[in-house]
Amino acid sequence: MATNVSPLQSEPVIGPNQTYGSVTDKIANICLGKQAPPVFWYIGLLTGLALMGGLGHGALWLFLNGVGVWGLNIPVGWGFAIINFVWWIGIGHAGTLISAILLLFRQDWRTSINRFAEAMTLFAVSCAGLFPLLHVGRPWLAFWLMPYPNTMNVWPQFRSPLVWDVFAVSTYATVSALFWYTGLIPDLATMRDRATGKVAKTIYGIFALGWRGSARHWERYEIAYLMLAGLSTPLVVSVHTVVSFDFAVSVIPGWHATLFPPYFVAGAIYSGFAMVLTLAIPVRYFWGLEDFITMRHIDAMAKVTLATGLVVFYGYMMEVFFGWYSQNEYEQFMILNRMSGPYAPMYWMLIFCNGLTPQLLWFKKVRFNIPFLFVISLIVNVGMWLERFVIVVTSLHRDFLPSSWDMYYPTFWDWIIYIGSIGQFLVFFFLFLRFVPMIAIFEVKHLVPLSKKA
Amino acid sequence: MADHQELANSGQAPEVASLQTRGMILGGIGLALCAAGYMADSARFFEAYLVGYLYWLAISLGCLGWTMIHHLTDGNWGFPVRRVWESGARTIWLMALLFIPILLAGDHLFPWMAEGALEDHIIAGKAGYLNTTFFSIRALLYFVIWGGMALILTSTSYKQDSEGPEPLGVRLRLTSGPGLLIMAITVTFSATDWAMSIDPHWFSTIWGFLFAASDLLAAMAFTICIAKMLEHCPPLNKALTTDTFHDLGNLLMAFTMLWAYMSFSQFLIIWSGNTQEEAPWYLLRMDNGWIIISVILIVFHFMIPFTVLLTRKTKRAANVLVKVAIFMLMMRFIDLYWLTMPTLTAHGEHGAGFHPSWIDIAPWLGVGGLWLFFFSMQLRERPLTPLTDPRLQQALEGTGGHH
Repeated sequence: MATNVSPLQSEPVIGPNQTYGSVTDKIANICLGKQAPPVFWYIGLLTGLALMGGLGHGALWLFLNGVGVWGLNIPVGWGFAIINFVWWIGIGHAGTLISAILLLFRQDWRTSINRFAEAMTLFAVSCAGLFPLLHVGRPWLAFWLMPYPNTMNVWPQFRSPLVWDVFAVSTYATVSALFWYTGLIPDLATMRDRATGKVAKTIYGIFALGWRGSARHWERYEIAYLMLAGLSTPLVVSVHTVVSFDFAVSVIPGWHATLFPPYFVAGAIYSGFAMVLTLAIPVRYFWGLEDFITMRHIDAMAKVTLATGLVVFYGYMMEVFFGWYSQNEYEQFMILNRMSGPYAPMYWMLIFCNGLTPQLLWFKKVRFNIPFLFVISLIVNVGMWLERFVIVVTSLHRDFLPSSWDMYYPTFWDWIIYIGSIGQFLVFFFLFLRFVPMIAIFEVKHLVPLSKKA
Repeated sequence: MADHQELANSGQAPEVASLQTRGMILGGIGLALCAAGYMADSARFFEAYLVGYLYWLAISLGCLGWTMIHHLTDGNWGFPVRRVWESGARTIWLMALLFIPILLAGDHLFPWMAEGALEDHIIAGKAGYLNTTFFSIRALLYFVIWGGMALILTSTSYKQDSEGPEPLGVRLRLTSGPGLLIMAITVTFSATDWAMSIDPHWFSTIWGFLFAASDLLAAMAFTICIAKMLEHCPPLNKALTTDTFHDLGNLLMAFTMLWAYMSFSQFLIIWSGNTQEEAPWYLLRMDNGWIIISVILIVFHFMIPFTVLLTRKTKRAANVLVKVAIFMLMMRFIDLYWLTMPTLTAHGEHGAGFHPSWIDIAPWLGVGGLWLFFFSMQLRERPLTPLTDPRLQQALEGTGGHH
C-alpha cells in the first residue's frame, strides 16, 4: 500500500487517540441517550416544530382558498413555489455528490460527513417535493402527474420538462433513500446490540434487517453499496439538468440559455456544500465531534464551495456577455432590466452573495476560520435562493407585451410556507441527529489506523 | 549516482526520437499537401486550416489544463504523465505562430470581417467586439496568457528536478488555482472568436464549456497514446501501472460523457426553443448530407466509446485503452469538422451540402506534424517524469529498482 505523501493533505482526516472502541462509543452514545443532547438540540427541535406549525397553517389556508392566496398572477405565474422547489432540490445535491462521486473517486474525507449529508439530501428533497404538490392546489389529485392508462384518456405532455421532473425527482428520492438506508444497516445493527432499553432494541433490530456482520453479509453489502453509488452518480447531474430544462427549453429571455444545465448543476452542488457546512459546523461544535469532522473536511468542503461558486459566477458573466452579444433586443432588455429594473437590488445582492463572497475562500486563513466560514455558508445559502428568485421573477415580470407588465410581491402565505418548509427540514434533521448514528461508525473505523497516537 | 544520471536523461529515449522524426516526416508531407491545396482551392484551404488548427490547439490547451488540474488535485494518476502535459503545454508558442494564416484569411473565414458586413444590423451591433483590431489584440492576449502560464508552470516544474518538490510545489498550486479560472475565461472567448463568430448571428452560452471539455478530452486521449508509447521507457516502466491506465481511462470516459452531455443539452434547448436566431445552426447540420455526420457523432463519439469504456477490462488493458484513445482522437477531428465546416462552406460554390475534399485533411496533417515534432523536442530535453516526486521514489523502490 502506498502511503499518502501528498503535501496537499496535511490535515488529518481523524483526530488523535481514536480506537475502534472509542469511535463506536462516541457515536452510539449520542443515539442511545448516554451522551445527553446539548441544549442546542432542544432549541433547534422546538424552533423547527414551531415553524413547521406555520407550514401546516399555511397549507391549510392554501387548500381552503386556492393558490390565489399566494402573490402569483399573470405575468408572474411562477413564484415562490418553483423558487423554493429548485432551492431545496439544489441543496440535496451535495449529499449525493459526497456519497456517490467521492466514493467512486476514493476520497477519504467523504467518510464521516457522508451520513448526515445524505440525510440532508433526503430531507431537502422532501421539502422540495412539498412545493409542486402545494402548487397543484389539489394535492389529492397529484397522481395525475404520472402517466397511467385512465378512463379520461388524459396523458401528461411528454415534451414538457415538468413531466421529466416528476420522473427525475421521484427517482432521485427513491435512490437516495435506498442508498442512505443501505449504508445505515451495519450501524443500525451496532445500535441494536448496544441498546439496553427494550423499545430501542426492538426498533433498531427491525431496521437492522437481521444483520449479523458475517463475511457474506459484508461482501453483499459492499457490492450493493457500490452499485447504488454507480446509480446515484448520474442523478447528481440529471436531476438539476432536468430542473434547468424547466426554464431553458422555453423561449423566455433569461431562461432560454444553453449554459443552463451545467450552470444549474454547479449551482446545486455549490448550495449543497454550503448547507453541509452550515449544518456540520454547529453539529461538530455542540456534539464535540471535532475528531471526526476535522479541519480537513471543513477545508475540502470550502474548496468545493469555491470551485462550484466560480462556475456559477462564470454563468452570470456569460449571461451578461451573450445577452449583449446576441443583439436580440429582448435578451438585452432582460439583462438591463435585471441590473437596473425594479428588482435590481435582488440582482446586486445575488452578485454580492454568490459572486464576491466566495472569493474569500481563496484564502486559507478564511477556510480555517470556523465562525467566518459559517457566516459565508449562510450568505451562500441566501445567494442561491436569490439566484432562483432573480431567474424566475425578473424574467416573467416583463412580458413580451408591455401592457402585461406587472410586479410580483410574495404574500404572508408565501413566506409562512417557505419558512415552514425550513422548519420541516429542521425537525427531520434534529430527530435524525438524536436517533440515527449521524456518522458512519464502521466507515470511520477504516480511518482509525490513521489516528495519531499521542 | 549512475541511476540518477540515467533518469535525468530519460527523455532521450529512442521512442521519443522516433516520434520526433515521424512528426517531421508527417509535417513535411502535410505542408506539401497544404501548398498543393492552397493552389488548388485557396478558400477551401483556409477553411480546412481553421479546422486543423483548432484541432491541435485543443490538445495544447487541454495539456495546459490537465497540468493545472493535476497540481490542484494531486491525484496519483497524474504524476507519470505530467511531463507529457507540460511538453504539450509548451507547444502554445508554436500555435501562436501558426495562428497567422487565420488572421491573413480573416475576411474569408469570418463574415463580419468582410467588406460591407456592417450593413447587417446585427453584425453592426456587435462591431464593438467583433472588429479586426480588437480581435487581433484578443488573440495576442490569449497567446501571451497561455504561453506565459505554460512557461511559468513548466519551468517551475523543471526546477523541482534539481531543487526538490517543495517549496516550489506551493508556487505551482498557487498558480494553478487562478490559472484555471483564467483558462476558463480565455478558452471561452477564444472559442467564441474563432469558432462561433464564423456565423456572426448565432450564439450559444454553453459554447465555452463545450470547448473546454473537448480540449480536456482530446488531451486525455492524446496522453493515453503517448503513455502507451513510452510504457517501456525508464522510469515510466515503473511509474506507469495498470492503475494509472485505469484512472486515465476513467477520465477519458468522464470527459466523453461530459462532451455528450453538453452537446445534447445545447441541441435540446435550441431545438425546443426553435427560434429564428438559433435553429438555423442545427438545421444546416440536419440536412444536406450533414445528418450522416451528426448521427456518426452520436454513435461513435459517444455511444460506442462510452459502452466500451464502461468495463473495467478495457481501462486496465493498456493495449485496448490506447485503441479507444486513438479512436477518440479521430472523432475529435470529425466533431470539430462538424462544428465549423457546415457554417464555413454554407455559402461556398458547392452550397450547404456535405462535400468533403482531400484538402480538408492537409492542414490537419501539416500542423499536426509540426506539433508532434515540437512536442517531442520538448519531451526529449527533460526527464520523462518529475524526478523528485516522492511517488517516483516509491515506484522505483517498490518494484526493486536500483540494480
